[in-house]
Amino acid sequence: MGVGFVVGVLGVLILSHAAYSTIQYRAMLKITEEEFSGPPINVVVELIAGLMLCMWAALTVPGKFLSILSHSDENRVVALPENLDFMIFNHRGKAIPMGIDAKLK
Amino acid sequence: MAGRVDSDKLKEKASDNLNDLPTFNAENMQNNAKVMYYSRTFMSIIGGVVAGILGLTGLMGFVFYFLIMGITSAGLAAKAGFSIHSYFDSWNKILLDGFFGGLMSFVLFWTFAYDIVHIF
Repeated sequence: MGVGFVVGVLGVLILSHAAYSTIQYRAMLKITEEEFSGPPINVVVELIAGLMLCMWAALTVPGKFLSILSHSDENRVVALPENLDFMIFNHRGKAIPMGIDAKLK
Repeated sequence: MAGRVDSDKLKEKASDNLNDLPTFNAENMQNNAKVMYYSRTFMSIIGGVVAGILGLTGLMGFVFYFLIMGITSAGLAAKAGFSIHSYFDSWNKILLDGFFGGLMSFVLFWTFAYDIVHIF
């Protein structure tokens, strides 16, 4: 959590520096009275670098994915929820065949 | 009279039955959805700021948004190790969930950054 956060802040700092460079570039263009067709190459490189860092932070900071399968190893202990109306149990009764097709003899 | 069950049926597990409802750990499903939502929202905001700095206008900006969302979806799939079924119940969730929710944040920060960089 700490490292990802720092990386994210770094990415945002790089983006704000790129924004500042673009503002200065535009001010320079105003002096020479040219059209703004796109930011200079070094700003584009900075933007890509900032985007990569922020993407890495976006994927690692919020937390890990937890398995949703009830038979995976990390989901073995199930706590009883406070809501007693809806409880889901995963027990060995699953191994008993339901025998829906059983005929009455 | 009690129903008599074939001895073959005693060998098959009930989970082989296609009528079986898969049970999922609901708390973990919520956690995964929350993680995805945070990731997508943050990437929409960053994408909006980058689009504003680049000076994109009109359709190009929306194309950029879909590009960013596509890359984020690929990143989330990679984070789940490409074995989606142990973390989500369908492919649609990981690809499409929060896709349009981030659009509003994207447009907000896009106009914000564009105004700061290009107009003022």
